[in-house]
Amino acid sequence: MPPQFGLGLRLLVYNRLRLLIASASVAMGVVVIFVELGLLFGMLDAQALIANLVRGDLLVMNIARINLHRWDKLYPVRIDQAAAVPGVARVTPVYEDHVGMQDPDDKRVRRIILYAFPPDDIPFRLDDPASITHALKVSHGFLYDRLSRPIFGKFQAGDDIKLDTVPARVGGYVNIGVDIVNDGNILISKGDWLARSPDAKPIMGVIHLKPGVPVEEARRAILAALPADVSVLTPAETARRESMYTLRSAPVGILFLVGMLAGLVIGTINCYQVLYNEISDRLPQFATLKAMGFSNRFLRGVILEQAVVLSLTGFVTGMIVSWLADWYIASQSMLPIRITGPSGFIVCSLTFAMCMVAGLIAIRRVAVADPAALY
Amino acid sequence: MIARQVNFAFDAGSARKQVLFDIDFVLDRGEFVILTGPSGAGKTTLMTLIGALRSLQSGSISVLDTELAGLKAEGQREIRRKIGFIFQDHNLFDALTAFQTLSLAMTLAGRRQSRSEARTLAVTLLSKLSMEPQIDSRPRQMSTGQKQRVAIARALINEPPIIIADEPTAALDADTAALVIELLRQLVGTAGTSVLMVTHDRRIFSAANRILTMVDGRITASR
Ligand SMILES: Nc1ncnc2c1ncn2[C@@H]1O[C@H](COP(=O)(O)OP(=O)(O)OP(=O)(O)O)[C@@H](O)[C@H]1O
Ligand SMILES: [Mg+2]
Repeated sequence: MPPQFGLGLRLLVYNRLRLLIASASVAMGVVVIFVELGLLFGMLDAQALIANLVRGDLLVMNIARINLHRWDKLYPVRIDQAAAVPGVARVTPVYEDHVGMQDPDDKRVRRIILYAFPPDDIPFRLDDPASITHALKVSHGFLYDRLSRPIFGKFQAGDDIKLDTVPARVGGYVNIGVDIVNDGNILISKGDWLARSPDAKPIMGVIHLKPGVPVEEARRAILAALPADVSVLTPAETARRESMYTLRSAPVGILFLVGMLAGLVIGTINCYQVLYNEISDRLPQFATLKAMGFSNRFLRGVILEQAVVLSLTGFVTGMIVSWLADWYIASQSMLPIRITGPSGFIVCSLTFAMCMVAGLIAIRRVAVADPAALY
Repeated sequence: MIARQVNFAFDAGSARKQVLFDIDFVLDRGEFVILTGPSGAGKTTLMTLIGALRSLQSGSISVLDTELAGLKAEGQREIRRKIGFIFQDHNLFDALTAFQTLSLAMTLAGRRQSRSEARTLAVTLLSKLSMEPQIDSRPRQMSTGQKQRVAIARALINEPPIIIADEPTAALDADTAALVIELLRQLVGTAGTSVLMVTHDRRIFSAANRILTMVDGRITASR
């Protein structure tokens, strides 16, 4: 006989319906944790969206702009000053503002985020850059973000839409995405934007280095050459800084932490309940095993084995439900909520820990099985 | 098995209730002893002490040359592995087939054996109990008597030198009861197994070497 008999597994698998219910009750905790993590990661991703989208080696921004949702602008001359630093190939100015976009049907005006840049030097990683360049070169043309929330009305390419009361033509579509605050994005050319608002200042400069120039060296050189009113970060650093800021700012981080703790508690209690019933319903059988000479260690092993099985079936059940829930929430909120490798790994580990804790508490119940009470 | 001056009481203080008084008796190798007597006499209590399911309070019981008095949980477990227990209730896991139940018991013997060897052992024993057709059945597909026979097979599969049984035939019809008793008699005769059995069933009395009668916590008669 194999030394591991697999009694715990056999006891659980024997009653399929019961196993399903048990898995579902463990899965309740899993789902809560998954959805909380999905929302958290989705929100962090959304808040750092632009930083993740940027194509370039370094970003120069106003030093006061400690997160991407602040509007502190750069003096335009800083773009030229940075471009003059040895090792820098070019600096692309990016303008950001919000404009009122009018629904062509009900004439209501809604706030949308606008990015402007030179059409020949797209600072973002976007599909089909050639046609974007082409569309932005058409005077008064703009590109609409297909992933905007569906609140801006019905229109199609070629329609004229009023942006801050001045008409502009829908020249095409791009995929960018929204965050918690902003409902949508449009892109226009730097020239069109400066024609509309001559005093506009760039929100950042996207720095491209000459081939082979080390990033750290270039950063030092740029910081030395420019006045102390700028910060110079890589896009990755900017994204990380944004995530940390979102986590720390106000109650957001705590909110998700509490939500995850609630999921952990629910999962642990439910798993304990299942194991408790598994033991209680078989107390005479477990007592018989003790009478036959099976050690407490063996019985604990059976319970922990059941805990492991439950953590697996509970995790899988929970993941399926969470996937559906994430898909639904994402479709409603337009936020990039999904199960990722890291969140799957985190939740899997937490589920295992949850069931182990439940198993270790439930183990005490085995002590109640008294072989002397069998005769 | 030797019991000397065994006294036992439940509870303490004013609720204290002594149920065994100065029990003295010997169960020899290859002996079949029946313990009988009125309800509440203390038969079951004595069995649990001999089976190392309870700790002794006073006196001494020695099983297979091991003194039970003062034995720790670990030692009690070692002794219990050498005893075949047959309880009134079968207490089978509903998830396990007869073969799986016996396989689980076989893991206690610590022998290394293949699945087919285990299967052969199980088939041999079950066929002696007319249970071979049920070897892959689960308790739900068995009658009460059949379940009880699987439980008996579970107690016998590791060929324990001592078998302790409390009313093992209560759930069985006359024919099956006779079958079980015959099997126990065979073990006593060929393998030198000792059997201590509590029963009120007078039909079985003839199978025993000795019949002890217990009344009010004392062994009052032996024949
Ligand atoms: N756990 C216990 N706590 C307190 N008293 C007990 C306990 N178990 C048994 N007793 C008492 O001890 C006495 C002997 O009980 P025991 O079960 O040994 O009798 P028995 O001879 O096996 O009876 P029966 O033929 O009915 O099975 C009885 O008076 C019973 O009430
Ligand atoms: Mg009794």
